[in-house]
Amino acid sequence: MKSVFRSAICTTLSFSLRSLNPTPPLSLLPPHLAFLHHKPSPFTSMASGGGEIGPQAPSSPTVHTLEKQFDEFRHQLDDSGSLRERIRSVAQEIESATRLTQSSLLLIHQSRPIPEVLEKAKGQIGVVRELFSKLADIIREYPGQYYRYHGDWKSETQTVVSLLAFMHWLETGALLLHAEAEEKLGLKPSEFGLDIEDYLVGICFMSNDLPRYVVNQVTAGDYDCPRKVMKFLTDLHAAFRMLNLRNDFLRKKFDGMKYDLRRVEEVYYDVKIRGLATNGDTKGELGDVGQS
Amino acid sequence: MFKSLAVHNLSIMASKPQRLRHLAESTVLQAAAAKKPRTMTTNAAASDSDPNPMKEAFSKYASYLNDLNDKRERVVKASRDITMNSKKVIFQVHRISKNNKEEVLEKAEKDLAAVMDQHIARLVKELQGTDFWKLRRAYSPGVQEYIEAATLCNFCKTGSLLNLDQINASLQPLSDPSVEPLQINLLDYLLGLADLTGELMRLAIGRISDGELEFAQKICRFVREIYRELLLIAPKMEDSSDMKSKMDVMLQSVMKIENACFSVHVRGSEYIPLLGSEDTSFSLLGVPEME
Repeated sequence: MKSVFRSAICTTLSFSLRSLNPTPPLSLLPPHLAFLHHKPSPFTSMASGGGEIGPQAPSSPTVHTLEKQFDEFRHQLDDSGSLRERIRSVAQEIESATRLTQSSLLLIHQSRPIPEVLEKAKGQIGVVRELFSKLADIIREYPGQYYRYHGDWKSETQTVVSLLAFMHWLETGALLLHAEAEEKLGLKPSEFGLDIEDYLVGICFMSNDLPRYVVNQVTAGDYDCPRKVMKFLTDLHAAFRMLNLRNDFLRKKFDGMKYDLRRVEEVYYDVKIRGLATNGDTKGELGDVGQS
Repeated sequence: MFKSLAVHNLSIMASKPQRLRHLAESTVLQAAAAKKPRTMTTNAAASDSDPNPMKEAFSKYASYLNDLNDKRERVVKASRDITMNSKKVIFQVHRISKNNKEEVLEKAEKDLAAVMDQHIARLVKELQGTDFWKLRRAYSPGVQEYIEAATLCNFCKTGSLLNLDQINASLQPLSDPSVEPLQINLLDYLLGLADLTGELMRLAIGRISDGELEFAQKICRFVREIYRELLLIAPKMEDSSDMKSKMDVMLQSVMKIENACFSVHVRGSEYIPLLGSEDTSFSLLGVPEME
């Protein structure tokens, strides 16, 4: 009922500009109410800008200073807009370089030998490193604004960290620490560091990849793998539990980690109960790191 | 006997939280906070033989996150206080009427200065030496509300817009000269301005019912200018969705003022005998269906 009314008003308003006949329903409403119910439209905004008092307004000095300030704002916002475009384009390059790394790294699931896979994947890291230094160069021009634009490279960075951490684990069997990740990316914490929360999210992403790795390793006949991964993930999960997290993305990712752990435990159980794990005794922990 | 024991116990229990709070308030807290991660690391070091090598690193991350969250929490609190007290200033301004203008504004300005000295100063101290953008989400609402109150006061007093530079200049003395002072960023300023028009609308309606048509028209011109300028700027702002909805509300406010001015003009022309010729053209342009 009301909306019909309103649309009637809208149409009459836009028509009345071209001096067509006013329709009857309008006379039921006082004209100022008709305006109140009217939705914003380009026509009214123009009318409000160039209304009857408009022409005399710009002459006053207050309006002049007002305009000056807004002109300046416009320039500043244009600047930050183009800066963001620069950042976005680098971030996109990072994204595609990361994707190449990821695709080489995925060969690990097809039971290619680890050194071969790593070598190929590492090839791209140099590119990523270079791109990050490019990003740092851009941000250096705008000191103190790292976090203003942080959102523009955040998710790319998280993915990079997850890949680096996975590669590091394949190589050494240990967790890539924050400082090590920074070093691998050639970042200097004093000017363009790796945000710790981004690092932690990246680590959670890496944990998501582990169940798949375990499954495929077992299929390929590496029955010791589940035990190693399980130990690593258990430790990682325990370490994460030391953090007091807020209700944010990181928290959600951390909550997901226990499902990775459970999946790995299931695989371990499946393997163990069938007696497939030859030396898979939890006590036999000597020098099994990075030997697979 | 029992009774006295119980009383004794009670007094201990009562004094304990007191003492704890006292401790917490003093700098001891900081020492404790500094100590906590250290004990964690020693724990990790002690359990070095039992293998979780990650714990040491994670205790560092944990204390980083704890510090950050605590700080964010304090900033949010300061922001809330700023919001609350700025709102009071805005209400004070709305108490304005024909004859009490000076005293009302004087009180409003005094309250505004108090907000600055007490709460914004706290925020400034908290944010000192960090990236202001990192915790922006935590303090932005308070800052916007303050902008709203400050610009509203200033408009009533001078009839002009308080510039961002002026506000930032007034923040300067609050912070330590050795570090980079807190500067309100233009996004928060613009968002605050967008809210200002809503308050100005209320003010204009109030002035009209009080018979101060002149003032209402001044507000009308001012708000139109702001809307016009913001229209150009809004799409350029980062995460502009917030601003977009504010722009719609703003247009509504502008139109409400215009309509109020209009209805006084049309129906109550006896209150304001002298009106320029261009006002008739307004009624022709705005409401042709009256004919």
